[in-house]
Amino acid sequence: MTRWADRLITLLLLVLLGWGGWGLLHWLMHGAEWSVVSANLPLYAVGSYPSDQRWRPLLWIGSCLVMVVLTLVGPRGASWRRFLPSLWIAMAPLGLWLLAGGLGLLPVGTRYWGGLTLTLLLTAGSGLLALPLGVLLALGRRSDLPVLRWSSTAYIELMRAVPLIAVLFFGQLLIPLFLPPGLEINRVLRAVLAFALFAAAYIAEDVRGGLQAIPPTQREAAAVLGLSPLQTLQLVVLPQALRVALPSLTNQAVGLLQNTSLMAILGLVELLGISRSLLANPAFIGRYLEVYLWLAAVYWLACTAMALLARHLEVQLDPVRSNR
Amino acid sequence: MTVAIRATDLVKSYTPGVRALDRVSLEVTNGEVLVVMGPSGSGKSTLIRTFNGLETLDGGSLDVLGVRLDSAHAEPQVRAIRRRVGMVFQQFNLFPHLSILENIALAPVKVQKRPKEEVEQRALELLEQMGIQEQAQKYPAQLSGGQQQRVAIARALALDPEVMLFDEPTSALDPERVKEVLDAMRQLASGGMTMVVVTHEIGFARDVADRVMFMDQGQVVETSDPETFFSAAREERSRRFLSQMV
Repeated sequence: MTRWADRLITLLLLVLLGWGGWGLLHWLMHGAEWSVVSANLPLYAVGSYPSDQRWRPLLWIGSCLVMVVLTLVGPRGASWRRFLPSLWIAMAPLGLWLLAGGLGLLPVGTRYWGGLTLTLLLTAGSGLLALPLGVLLALGRRSDLPVLRWSSTAYIELMRAVPLIAVLFFGQLLIPLFLPPGLEINRVLRAVLAFALFAAAYIAEDVRGGLQAIPPTQREAAAVLGLSPLQTLQLVVLPQALRVALPSLTNQAVGLLQNTSLMAILGLVELLGISRSLLANPAFIGRYLEVYLWLAAVYWLACTAMALLARHLEVQLDPVRSNR
Repeated sequence: MTVAIRATDLVKSYTPGVRALDRVSLEVTNGEVLVVMGPSGSGKSTLIRTFNGLETLDGGSLDVLGVRLDSAHAEPQVRAIRRRVGMVFQQFNLFPHLSILENIALAPVKVQKRPKEEVEQRALELLEQMGIQEQAQKYPAQLSGGQQQRVAIARALALDPEVMLFDEPTSALDPERVKEVLDAMRQLASGGMTMVVVTHEIGFARDVADRVMFMDQGQVVETSDPETFFSAAREERSRRFLSQMV
């Protein structure tokens, strides 16, 4: 009886999959018109960056790609591997320099930044700011000093209670108010700051989870060896806590990348923003499905690369090289 | 003979009205091995943990290697004591993210600021002394409990301590691993190290201890030489405890 039910369910699922697959295939072969993608590849990659300077964002994306490939499939145990962490951290400032210019490069204003370049830069920039801030908040929440503990907790709870889109709008409107008159920071930087402030609250909770997983006896062992509280934190507690928190931190990083699409509402032309402006172009009217499928594929690729890198890092950080 | 540790009327209580340490006084002279025995909850672990400031005192005072410690628990004094006193825990407490060599070299390099090569050389010598030099590049999780505990002893010795504290060092080990740790401790004792050992190992206490101290309910019941303690303990409470041990 149950065997018949199993077979029936399997059959139904196959029919359903086949039907859906056939429909998609048919549309891809006969209905889809991919010129909206193929004609605009430079826009997707770099936005409306000046065409004679386009090599700069392209160089940056290219070097990101090279880094991904080197890290994931480069030979194990090669001696240059020990430079990889510093190189990865250097990617964000490198991108900032290549895009913004200065120091020998022609300055290019942020309103020309866009596409995948902007998406990646927003992710990297806000992530790099949010991680140390999140660690500090997590430590603050576990501090013995009441004021520090309360204010960290209040910050985390408040940020988690507000939707990201509201934080982003507040960021655009409020951050200028806190700055001294005359000093103005541009939209992209404000977005990165607001984004980092928001993400830090979530990162703090992940790090706190990691901190809680480290038994107090580890601190005792460090203390009787004469390590100062700061050394204990830096050499014993944090390395272990961050390793525990890494899977959830990866989650945050992937979320960060996808949430950069909200910046389209603020008028930034990152991947989603550029797609929306293309769809508003009469030449490509109605090509929603093509554009959003393409967009999904690009996001999927970027997120998969991030997930693979995080998995790689997890294995690297696990000294016993096991899958515990 | 100089006194390494002098405790005077130590009082410690975790819950009001219950004294984990109830006016404990004792002296440990240089080069002496003192074994502390007693049922669980007798305060022996609390006592040994006060010697290097892991527990704060509610009353009384300590003199460890000439440094005074009392209920004020002054941080500079605690640090001065920890620089010269090594400790080994029941659960080893090795750092799981560091290799064996890194575990041992961490404090000498970061706290004593000694050159890394010299420290690692010394670490390898200590591992050899403990009979586990081939484990230097492994990680704690790859070692047996007995090996981990010997690494913990080497880690404490790498700081050249003048006194070693052992808090039930073999209680978390498989029975067949106990001997290798006790042998390392015997070797240390015969080298003249001043040691305070909380343990249930009668054989070790009988062979190695200069004196055995028996505690119950936060108080010192009796302190005798091991011969007297194990064959003709003075106090009824000690005899009852010994009769229940295998």
